[in-house]
Amino acid sequence: MEDAATPVMTTASVAVAESTGISPGALKAKKIERARMLFWLLPPAAWFFVFMILPYCMLFYYSLGSVDYVVFKPGLSLANFVRVFTTEPYLSVMLKSAKIGIYTAILSSIIAYPLAFYLAFHASEAIKRYVYLLVIVPWWASYLVKAYAWKTILGTGGLINASLLGLGVIDHPLTLFLYNEFSVTLTLAYIFTPFAVLSIYAQLERVPTSLIEVALDQGATRMEIFRKIVLPISIPGIIAGGVITFSLGFGDFVAPALVGGADSIMISNIVINLLGAAYDWPMAAAIGLIIIALGLGLITLAHRLEHQFQVRF
Amino acid sequence: MPEGRRVSQRESNSGIRGGLVRRLSQALGAVTALSLFGASAASADSLNMLVWEGYADASFVEPFKKESGCDVSAVYVGTNDEIFAKLMAGGGTYDLVTPSNDTTMKLIDAGLVDPIDAGKISAEPDFFPMLKSPPWLSKDGKTYGVPYAWGIIRIVVDAAAVAEPPTSLAFLWDPKYAGKFAMWDDIETLYEAARYLDIKNVYDMNDEELAKVKEALLKLKPNIRKYWTTAGEMTTLLQGKEVIGGNAWEETLVKMRGADHKLIDVVPKEGRGGWSDSWMIAKGASSNVCVYKWLNYVSSAKAQALGHAITGFGYSNSKMVDFLPDDQKKSFEELGMTNPETLKTVSWWQPVKQRAKYLEIWNQVKAAQ
Repeated sequence: MEDAATPVMTTASVAVAESTGISPGALKAKKIERARMLFWLLPPAAWFFVFMILPYCMLFYYSLGSVDYVVFKPGLSLANFVRVFTTEPYLSVMLKSAKIGIYTAILSSIIAYPLAFYLAFHASEAIKRYVYLLVIVPWWASYLVKAYAWKTILGTGGLINASLLGLGVIDHPLTLFLYNEFSVTLTLAYIFTPFAVLSIYAQLERVPTSLIEVALDQGATRMEIFRKIVLPISIPGIIAGGVITFSLGFGDFVAPALVGGADSIMISNIVINLLGAAYDWPMAAAIGLIIIALGLGLITLAHRLEHQFQVRF
Repeated sequence: MPEGRRVSQRESNSGIRGGLVRRLSQALGAVTALSLFGASAASADSLNMLVWEGYADASFVEPFKKESGCDVSAVYVGTNDEIFAKLMAGGGTYDLVTPSNDTTMKLIDAGLVDPIDAGKISAEPDFFPMLKSPPWLSKDGKTYGVPYAWGIIRIVVDAAAVAEPPTSLAFLWDPKYAGKFAMWDDIETLYEAARYLDIKNVYDMNDEELAKVKEALLKLKPNIRKYWTTAGEMTTLLQGKEVIGGNAWEETLVKMRGADHKLIDVVPKEGRGGWSDSWMIAKGASSNVCVYKWLNYVSSAKAQALGHAITGFGYSNSKMVDFLPDDQKKSFEELGMTNPETLKTVSWWQPVKQRAKYLEIWNQVKAAQ
C-alpha cells in the first residue's frame, strides 16, 4: 500500500516543482527518479497481480458458475454462496473448524506463554539459544510423521494406554484418547505452538528491564509486575500468535484425516472432496471466497486490537 | 481402481475448463502441437498412456517393447477426474487411458474415446463372461474399452468378535458394536447402506431413497470409530485392534492372513460393490499401430499374471491364474477371485448422475455429531 502511494507523491512534488519554478535540471532528475521508482514497483505489482488478483478473479468466476454432469457452465448466479449458508453441512463444518481453530489457538498460547516468558526473562544466553533451537527443530520433521507419532502415543496399543495398563490403573485399553476432536486439537496445538512461542517471545523481548527495575524499587510484588506491566505489553504478541495458530488450525485437513474420528471432518476436507471426487469446483470456489473474506475480517480485527493494546515507549 | 489406492493424500490437479480457459489451453495446445510436429512424426511407433501406477510396470512393458518395437511412455494419475480432465482439455498426446467403471461412461458420453474392435483382441474369449462387453463400456451396440484389473469391496470382521460368520450387512448396525468399525471414506459406503436397505439401483437413487440412506448411515455412525482413506490405514486399524471390522480391499485381507486374530471375509446376501478398470483408446488414436498390439498384449493371461504380481488385483483374463506362482495362486483362490460365480454376485460400480448430491450427503453424514 505504501509503495503504491509513492509515485503519487512524486507526481505531487513534480507539480510543486513546476509551480515554484525550480530549474529544469532538477525536474529532469525527478523524472528519472520517477521512472526508476516505477521500474522497482513493477516486480511486486506483477507478483501481486499474477498470484493474488488473477487467482481470486478466477475463483470468483468459477464460484458464479455451475457444473452439469461433466461440464463447467459459466454463469452469473449466487446460488453457490446461498448453498453454503442454507444447505448442510457447509456452514456447520465451517463453525466446527472455527471451534477447533480457537481450541488450537488457546491451547498453543497456554503452552507457549510460559516457555516464551522463560526465554525472555530467565534463560541465560547459552540456554536461550538451545531452547530456541528446540522450538524450531520439530519443523525439520515432516508434518505427517509428527501426526503419526501421536497415533503411537494415543492409540489403544500406544504409550499412554500401555503405561496405564502397566500401572494397573485400567484393565483394558481406553479408546478415548485417539480418533476424536481431542486428538485433533492436541495434534494441531503441538504442531503449531512454535508460531505462538515466537510471536509472544518477540513481544516480551520488548518489555524494558528498566521498567521492571523501577517497579521493584517502588515495592511492587512480582505478581503485580506481571499483571500490570508484562502481561499488558505482551497482549499484541498473544493476539498475533493466536491469529496464526487459529488460521492454521482452521484450514488444516491432515490432522482430521489422520487422528480425527468419525465426525472430525473439517472445511478443508470438504473443499478437497468438492475439487476431486464431487467435481464441483464452483461450490469449492464459493467456500474458498467466503473463507478468504472471513480471514480478512479476522486480520482487520486483530490489527485493530493489536493497535489498541500496543504500548509505545 | 478405487481412488486413493495410491498415496491417499495425492489430489487431482484436474480442472474444469471453462470457455475462456478452454480456448486458452486449446491455443496453447495448438502451438505445442506445431512445435512438436517433427518429433511426433519421427516417433510414430510409440504409445503414450495415462494410467494408474502399476499398469505400465517395467516387468511386462519391457518384453512388449522388444516384441513389438513400440516405445511406451506412461503418465500416472491419482484420480479418475484427472483422466477425464486431461482428455477434456484436448489430450491429443495420449493414446490409451485406464479409467474405472464409474467414469468410463462419462468419457464415452463426452465423445473422448474410440470404440474397440474386439475381433482384434485374441485373448477376449478367455475373459470372464461378466467382463465381455460389460454395461459400463457399451453404448449403441458398440464396446468402448477392454476390461483389465478389478476388485471387490470386502466386508471384514474379526472372527473372535462374532459368534458365527455374518451373512448380512445388518451386523454392522448392531448397537453392541459401538465404536468398533472403520468404514471407507468413499461413496461405496453409501452404496452399502443402500444395498442394506434393499434399494434397487443404488447408482441412481431418487431423493427419497437418498434420504433413507442418509438416515441409515447416521444410525450406523455410533458404531464407527474411523473413516479410513487407504488400504494401509484399514490394515493398521485392524492390526492395532482399534477396530474389529468394516469394509476393506483385498489387500487388507491378504496382509492380515498372518495375524494372530483371524479375519472373516463376509459374503453378505445384499451383495458387494466392485470396481473394474478398462483400457480405453483416446479419440483418434485407433490408427496408431501400437495401440492394438498393446491391447492384445495386456489382455494375455501371461502379461496379466505379471501385473498381478505388482498390484495384487484381479484381472479380466480367467486364465491369468494359471501363470501365477503357487502362493499367489492360493491366495487368489481363497479370495474367490478365480470363480466366475463370484463376479456374477458383484454390484459393479456405475456412473452416478447425482454424484455431487451423493457426496454432499456423504459429507453431511461425516459432519453429523
